[in-house]
Amino acid sequence: MQVNLNVRRYDPVSNGNGSRQTYSVEVEEQSTVLDVLIQVRDEQDATLSFRGSCRTGFCGDCTMRVNGKAKWACRMPVSKAQVDGEITLDPPRLVKGLKDLVYDQEEFLFDKYAATKPWIEPSPPGPTEEHIVSQEKIKELQEASSCTLCGMCDEGCTVLIIDKSFLGPAALTRAFKPVADPRDKVIERRLSELSEKRGMWDCVHCFEATEHCPKGIDPTDRILSLRDEAIKRGIGTPRVVRHNDSFAKSIKSSGWLDEARLAIESEGLTNIGGLMHLVPTAAKAMAHRKAPLPYLHKKRPGSKHIKRIFEKWEKDSK
Amino acid sequence: MRYAFYPGCVAKGGCPELYPAAIKVAEKLGIELFEMKDVGCTGAGVLSREVSDPINARTLAKAEAMGLPIMTICSTCQGCLMQANHRLVIDPEYRAKINREYLAEEGLEYRGTTDVKHFLWVLDEDYGLDKLQEMVVNPLEELNVAAFYGCYLRRPPEVVVPKGKESRKVSLENAIKALGGNVVATKGKGKCCGFPILYPNERNSLEMCGTHTLEAKDKGADAMVTPCPLCHLELDGTQSRAEQHKGKKINLPVLHLPQLVGLALGFSPKEMEMQRHLVSTAPVEEKAKRKAEV
Amino acid sequence: MSAALSAREQGASVCIVTKQHPLRSHSSGAQSGINAGLRGADAWESHGMDTVKAGAYLSDQDVVENICQEAAARVIALEHMGVPFDRNGDGRIDQIKFPASSEARTCYCSDATGHNILQTLYEQVLRMQIPVHHDCSAVSLIMMDDGTCQGVFARSLRDGSLIAFSSGSVVLATGGMGRMYLDNTASTASTGDGMAMAYRAGAALRDMEMVQFAPTALAPNGILITAAARGEGAVLVGSNDAQLDSLAGSDAVSQAVARELANGDVRLDFKGVDSERLSETRLLIKDLAGIDISKDSVSVRSVMHRPIGGIKIDGSGSTGVAGLYAAGECANSGLNGANRLGGNALLESVVVGRKAGESAAGHAGSVGPAPDLVSHQADEERKVAAIVARGKNGESSGLIRRELASLMQESVGIFRNGSGLSEAAAKLATLKVRCGAVGVNGPASGYSTEIDSIIELGNMLDVAEVIAASALAREESRGSHARTDFPNRDDENWLKHTVARGSGDGVKLDYEPVTVTRWKPEGSS
Repeated sequence: MQVNLNVRRYDPVSNGNGSRQTYSVEVEEQSTVLDVLIQVRDEQDATLSFRGSCRTGFCGDCTMRVNGKAKWACRMPVSKAQVDGEITLDPPRLVKGLKDLVYDQEEFLFDKYAATKPWIEPSPPGPTEEHIVSQEKIKELQEASSCTLCGMCDEGCTVLIIDKSFLGPAALTRAFKPVADPRDKVIERRLSELSEKRGMWDCVHCFEATEHCPKGIDPTDRILSLRDEAIKRGIGTPRVVRHNDSFAKSIKSSGWLDEARLAIESEGLTNIGGLMHLVPTAAKAMAHRKAPLPYLHKKRPGSKHIKRIFEKWEKDSK
Repeated sequence: MRYAFYPGCVAKGGCPELYPAAIKVAEKLGIELFEMKDVGCTGAGVLSREVSDPINARTLAKAEAMGLPIMTICSTCQGCLMQANHRLVIDPEYRAKINREYLAEEGLEYRGTTDVKHFLWVLDEDYGLDKLQEMVVNPLEELNVAAFYGCYLRRPPEVVVPKGKESRKVSLENAIKALGGNVVATKGKGKCCGFPILYPNERNSLEMCGTHTLEAKDKGADAMVTPCPLCHLELDGTQSRAEQHKGKKINLPVLHLPQLVGLALGFSPKEMEMQRHLVSTAPVEEKAKRKAEV
Repeated sequence: MSAALSAREQGASVCIVTKQHPLRSHSSGAQSGINAGLRGADAWESHGMDTVKAGAYLSDQDVVENICQEAAARVIALEHMGVPFDRNGDGRIDQIKFPASSEARTCYCSDATGHNILQTLYEQVLRMQIPVHHDCSAVSLIMMDDGTCQGVFARSLRDGSLIAFSSGSVVLATGGMGRMYLDNTASTASTGDGMAMAYRAGAALRDMEMVQFAPTALAPNGILITAAARGEGAVLVGSNDAQLDSLAGSDAVSQAVARELANGDVRLDFKGVDSERLSETRLLIKDLAGIDISKDSVSVRSVMHRPIGGIKIDGSGSTGVAGLYAAGECANSGLNGANRLGGNALLESVVVGRKAGESAAGHAGSVGPAPDLVSHQADEERKVAAIVARGKNGESSGLIRRELASLMQESVGIFRNGSGLSEAAAKLATLKVRCGAVGVNGPASGYSTEIDSIIELGNMLDVAEVIAASALAREESRGSHARTDFPNRDDENWLKHTVARGSGDGVKLDYEPVTVTRWKPEGSS
């Protein structure tokens, strides 16, 4: 079959602004987009640059935008990718382009991955037995580690668009694995480090990452699981811990959220600067009778049961 | 049409205008609401799911006992309840564990049959937007409205947009059209508003709020409408701070979905308690009112 | 990375030079598993026997014994680094029975074993702070006048510059050469670079005629379906609905599939298989063939999988060239003989990798100060300059590679014969001449892969020449080497290794005896 590949060309030296080039190729019906790129480079234009390694969807190298949407070129049959006989190819949006479809994966992925210190400290040499671990736990670890760092979730992330320093869902998903690993001995240190600026608390849990993940890993869920672990251990930045504590206390005591109390307690009762920061918004809200008043916050009828659930969970998770 | 009504915390707390507006609109449309009063917060993505799942299972079990589907008026409540419901429905063992460990003491059991629907989906799927259109007495013909969904009505798709329910992806725009309004298409409509990181990372949060409201404003929106009160807290409540952050005037009124419906059904802005908003809704009132006088 | 880690543990200063980032390396595609006799002191013995039998007695049995004995310790060490091996009901590492194995001894991580080992090793590379120079293609070994290897020259893809990595020793772990076959399961980086560099530096390539074909590649994509599928119970069904023996070794099954394909379709049927155990495979087939394996069978065919031959190394990983070591797919340790037992590839990589790293660290300690490389560097730069100088001339490395790939598939493929191999050798010589004329079309700036493609093509042609010559000389069929003109195994004349070295006038072949210890050759006809 005949396809037209409309590719972004870019070369920082000779073609700084980038341009587009269309290649007309006669391809086998079952070819993937990556196959066609290789074919174009072999047969028509040796100067075309792109990445792609394993050709089967295990290495994460060939992420690019196919018709505007991030995909793995190796898992995209051309027959499905064609729109009116054409396939447009671009690098992902949030990356630094290097040449054509090649982009800087270091800055986008690998450096952030390394920053999460994803290794576990192996036991001193000479162990003769494996750790005893339940298969259920192993499945959880395998699911997290099936991430190939292809960057699709980062491409979808709503925070990275506005703040490139955010670790992003890919690195945080990989960081989840050692935290969930019963063989790891430094979980609290990990959670503290992942709580630093640009870490897990900067995630807005918008589930874009989950929607973008081609492996169904559910990166957003991994980040929420990291947070669940941190909440359980009272770990986070001071603001985050205060906020979470206040939120939980409010629900535990009354069954529902006391927002006025939450706002004040999140800033910290001794944090005068932070509390003053609330004043303009709060005053305006009061004037509009928008803000809830703390003294009006009443218990809900079922609150004793909510409290019971909370207490049981707290007891069990100890 | 009868629903177990789960209003959520914010509709009575941070956005006290939402609850009365929703009650009035539902009554006018003939949607019968039975408010669930003795249930807990969904966790809103802040509580550990280990504790919010049992609390949500309790809510779902109570609705099941009432024999009614749940209606929410908050995307976040909707998402959290629905995600918890998903976990409880697909994994009967997990459900049994929660029943045994947390609900049995109260004599409750969740069997996994409760449906949870946001007011927007109730309008689109149960009530019908064509029927809604018939109820409109004050079509919002001059109003240019940008939709803003809130994350949890869109993602994760396998939970909230199952097969056969694809219209959920455009239901808010369709609702605006049914009310006579003009849809302003934006790229930000399905993105995060920024509310969840208002405390941990205010700069990023304000950047998001500013980006979304400015985009709508620049594309000619008179107002933004959202089915999520948390988005409202962000887009309305922090808009002035986002203006400072962006160094630009924005001044975009943000309406709750029931308020927009209410205006089209003939309620006054006062009845919809729009005076409680931090960003003045005067321009919206102007356009909506003028139409009503014709 | 195993080699780098063990060398670092020995206290050596180490860096990794690689044309792709380590996480993109082809081990990620090694889905199946890793063999180890974990339970019982003599569990390694049956592993050794299966290995030797699968290898059609061309394995060096001392090497087999060492590696199989070492296997359990290496798997346990990997587990302690964090590899999430599947567990049995007792929470211990589960093992399954692989095709051609007499016992359940393959440890696995779902159907992504290589991926998990790769990720875990990379985590440890980060932990040990071993610098990784990726996007950096090794082009030649730095050879001293006394014949010792003291580093590599590599081309940086970032800016096209030539970098000299001067070192006391070098471990080649450059993978296979599958891209010289039309239908192959190899990654795009598998272009035989290490084999060619070592060969040109005077190291020997051993048993290069042994090229492993995989029986279950997705037809028509040629993408591999893991051997674990057959281990889990998927069966091959021929054109007349007759089942093929799906549990034989990969050589026999591949050849049977190839023969059956002459009559029509061969399908892999997953009936009765727990597709949860093959989740990656299920997704792969869904995406590329649009087939749900829980409902339908898939058409398969045999395609080139991996080299079995490679750079000849001894038990310490040494190539015989002082300072030069090799491990993994580019090396031939003597473990696999004429055909590789499923689950031995990952094992060989980690065991031999470790040994090679230790030996290389030891050797590096005895090497004097870094030599002056100015003239060496100038020589290398001239070579690249010559390619650039040829400019655009109509000849293209891509087209020549495609011709090479068709030729190898046709004449040096799963079945070979004397006349085809002789013709292939002649054609390879003309392709080499043409390759020498290819120039570049665009500027050799950052991330242009033109020059790399030309160098890779040269590497593939050098290696292909050795494969064709070795295959032509071996007048018997053994394991993965199937000669239609010599269909039988001939222990009397051919129970020996082919050892190829470069010489002024082409490939020079020698033969070396196979080491036999406890498993006497049987089954020859």
